[in-house]
Amino acid sequence: MNTVSCPECAAEITLEANAEVGEIIVCPDCGVDLEVISLNPAEVDLAPMEQEDWGE
Amino acid sequence: MSETLIGLVSNYSPSGQERGAVEWLVARMKALGYDDALIDGAGNAVGVMGSGPRQVVLLGHIDTVPGEIPVRVERDNISLYGRGSVDAKGPLACFTDTVAQVGAVEGWQFVVIGAVEEERDSDGARFIVDKYRPDFLIVGEPNRWDRVALGYKGSAWAEITVKREQTHTASGEQTAAEAAVEAWLAVKAFAEAFNADKTRAFDKILPTLRGMESGQDGFEQWARLKVGVRLPVEMNPGQWYLEMEKTLQVLETCKVSVERVGYPVPAWSCEKNSQLVRAMLSGIRSQGGTPSFVYKTGTADLNIVAPIWQCPAVVYGPGDSALDHTPNEHISLDEYAKAVDALAAVLRKLVTPSA
Repeated sequence: MNTVSCPECAAEITLEANAEVGEIIVCPDCGVDLEVISLNPAEVDLAPMEQEDWGE
Repeated sequence: MSETLIGLVSNYSPSGQERGAVEWLVARMKALGYDDALIDGAGNAVGVMGSGPRQVVLLGHIDTVPGEIPVRVERDNISLYGRGSVDAKGPLACFTDTVAQVGAVEGWQFVVIGAVEEERDSDGARFIVDKYRPDFLIVGEPNRWDRVALGYKGSAWAEITVKREQTHTASGEQTAAEAAVEAWLAVKAFAEAFNADKTRAFDKILPTLRGMESGQDGFEQWARLKVGVRLPVEMNPGQWYLEMEKTLQVLETCKVSVERVGYPVPAWSCEKNSQLVRAMLSGIRSQGGTPSFVYKTGTADLNIVAPIWQCPAVVYGPGDSALDHTPNEHISLDEYAKAVDALAAVLRKLVTPSA
């Protein structure tokens, strides 16, 4: 079972069996977006930052 | 590496005058080894590499806003100045060079499109919506080489006309012009109420008053407002027009009409959890970048094709969009080269996921 710890709130999260590297998941405790960085060993990091910008 | 970019920027092509740039790009695609390159029925430049059946469409636009800027490389060969160098010939040239670099891949087809008229009514993008059904869509707009744009707001235009019977100026009754001001304030109040719990500009309704005029004859007074709006995903243009009509019914002394103007465009937000987004993150990192996501308050050809094609999509391209439409438009040649290498890594990852 792939269990990881949220880098924001330390909540324990179990990855789905079909999780993929690069997948964005949401921490069920604090709601932050996390990116699956590796599967073996299972590792997540904060997902890429979201910005806003004007322009076409 | 910069030959495509410099050549494309050197062919000045404001909306409606794209033909020379289109012919140049088609010839360039042929010279770069594309399997086919042609001008389609709308006047778009189209380059095809590979035969499919799976397909990636890379949709840029070849038109620019008007205002020719002398094309030149400045600051020790670091920056290319010229109209469209950022918006959006940089991204389109990047697509063209990237596909040439990756070449044909068995089972896949890459289609690079330089669409016309994006800066006006997106005629080029509207033409292609029923011509392709890609597995993946990458739209070309400047967002910096290390950012992936996931959403563009919708837009809509309306003319609000207020009319009433002529009155004596001493009567103290509300004039059509005064009622038009009230109408605009009501539209703004509706937007402010809708926006109250929203933190991102992407999620807000952003109306702007773009023009106003009024007049009268012996029998009638009238006032007209030109209102533009940038819309969130939550409010499509049809809903917006209905809400405006409902909001403006409160004006009791005047007859109010809302006329829909031009082509309304719904907002679009791309799915973040897609194979394409994963490939983008990986491709940017492969060139030493730290990727981030961006949501835009403007509108792009993404808004035209993505709702129809319903495939994983992103918007990507080198360049600083703060320079869009400015007399100082320029792009870093280093950034351009990085974007080509990053996007090539993206395409390779996409067509061979184990890569």
